[in-house]
Amino acid sequence: MALPQGLNDFTLADKAALVIGAEHPAGRIAAVTLAEAGARLMIASQEPATDEQLKETVKLVQATGAKAAPVTQVQNAAIRADVRATLDNAVKRLGGLDVMVTALDAPYYAPAEEGDDAIFDRVMERNVKSVWMACQEGARAMRRRGGSIVVMSSVLAERGVPGASLYCAAKAAVANLVRALALEWARQNIRINLLEAGWMTEEGSPAVANDEFAANLLKYLPYKRLVTPEELAGALLYLASPASGFVTGEAIAIDGGLLCRV
Amino acid sequence: MIADNLKLDGKLAIITGAGRGLGRAMAMGLAGAGADLVAAARTVEQLEETAAEVRKLGRKCLVVPTDVARSEDVSAMVAAAVKEFGQVDVLINNAGAGEDSFGKTIDQISDEEWRRGIDINLSSQFFGCRAVIPQMLKQKRGKIINVASGYGLRGGKHNYMYACSKGAVLQLTRSMALTYADFNIQTNCIVPGIFPHNERLMAFFKGGKFIPMGRGGEDADVGPLAIFLSSEASNHINGALIKIDGGGLAGGITPTGVAPQPTT
Repeated sequence: MALPQGLNDFTLADKAALVIGAEHPAGRIAAVTLAEAGARLMIASQEPATDEQLKETVKLVQATGAKAAPVTQVQNAAIRADVRATLDNAVKRLGGLDVMVTALDAPYYAPAEEGDDAIFDRVMERNVKSVWMACQEGARAMRRRGGSIVVMSSVLAERGVPGASLYCAAKAAVANLVRALALEWARQNIRINLLEAGWMTEEGSPAVANDEFAANLLKYLPYKRLVTPEELAGALLYLASPASGFVTGEAIAIDGGLLCRV
Repeated sequence: MIADNLKLDGKLAIITGAGRGLGRAMAMGLAGAGADLVAAARTVEQLEETAAEVRKLGRKCLVVPTDVARSEDVSAMVAAAVKEFGQVDVLINNAGAGEDSFGKTIDQISDEEWRRGIDINLSSQFFGCRAVIPQMLKQKRGKIINVASGYGLRGGKHNYMYACSKGAVLQLTRSMALTYADFNIQTNCIVPGIFPHNERLMAFFKGGKFIPMGRGGEDADVGPLAIFLSSEASNHINGALIKIDGGGLAGGITPTGVAPQPTT
């Protein structure tokens, strides 16, 4: 599959791409979008025992008319050995790696008083350490010919949210991780950028709860509605593809303008 | 399909400063993706060159001589677009000037130079937004793309009108974005880093070697970003400042990534 001429900069024809966290809606839309742009794909999970969810993602990718079914790898993205094996396998099966998307996310909403040290470790491990390891191993896989990494994250990286202190801290850590890695890897022709989703239509998010917070939030959002995963596709492809060839260390928010608000 | 969302077939875009540099590159990008254009600037000869290139791609291009610092010119530009095409899907407020003013000390800047500097980079974009909004409200859709600069986010030694006007463009973008979000009109801002357009700037910026990616921007780098922000693929992006700078603005607190300063 190829994009029409005139959109050549957005094409990923014959590029090798890996999506980590492909059992989630954000990772799924990433996989579908990269396939639509012509990439050869491997999809890996964030959590173990997600075979069924990955199969569902495979179906969605195949529905785009992709030439080959994506290679799949069920893994635990918080375990170094798993991540290393996934990247080694990606290089082996795809013949190198040009694009990596991480859709790693473990929401945690609770008052600060309720969190103990074990929760701190868990939130940081699954929101920060997992991204850090994927980026380290991903850049190692890209070292020979360069590449583009897109880290999918949230606007919580940019603002405080009461009742979500740890989660906010984790997302902010990822944002500045991306900036620093961008500087470190710029001369190796590895670009790394951040995609920050606004409040999304996802299970478990306080934005979809049937309560006062959700009702007030909807009124507060510039578009008066939540972001759908499909709305992340454009920015994802822009950042993943040569279209953003002079862009690194940048964050693009898909939030309808929420970050402009007071 | 993502490709269907990126295509600009049947759309009309006005680009100011379209005769050269980033403006021409964005014109070529948008035309390549299927848009017809209104090319505006002061220098007609350069606009005609852009128009000829656009027409080679099979797209229409109306040339409208415009001094963007004059609000009546900007209003006439939008009116000409509506008269010829009946629609304005995209306005790119790109025209500006002032990189060459770096280096004058504050006491050397006259009232007239200050006002001219603010007018050409800031008032021009305000005039553009104000002029195009009635048409976009009527259509119930529209995309406004303002062009700022890394100097809109960071200060520079002996850099007054340029940094102040470009910083204000970011705020213009945010207020427009919030005001018209309800009306399916997105306002975003392209923030170019160092794009050395002439030999003097190339020498001043030492070829861009201090930039993390090791080079300055080339005009063609900005084309795809203009396509993306003009397209339906960016419909939920609003009030965003998107940097295109080789990584420069991601850093800046260590010597890597620090731009040279004037020596005056």
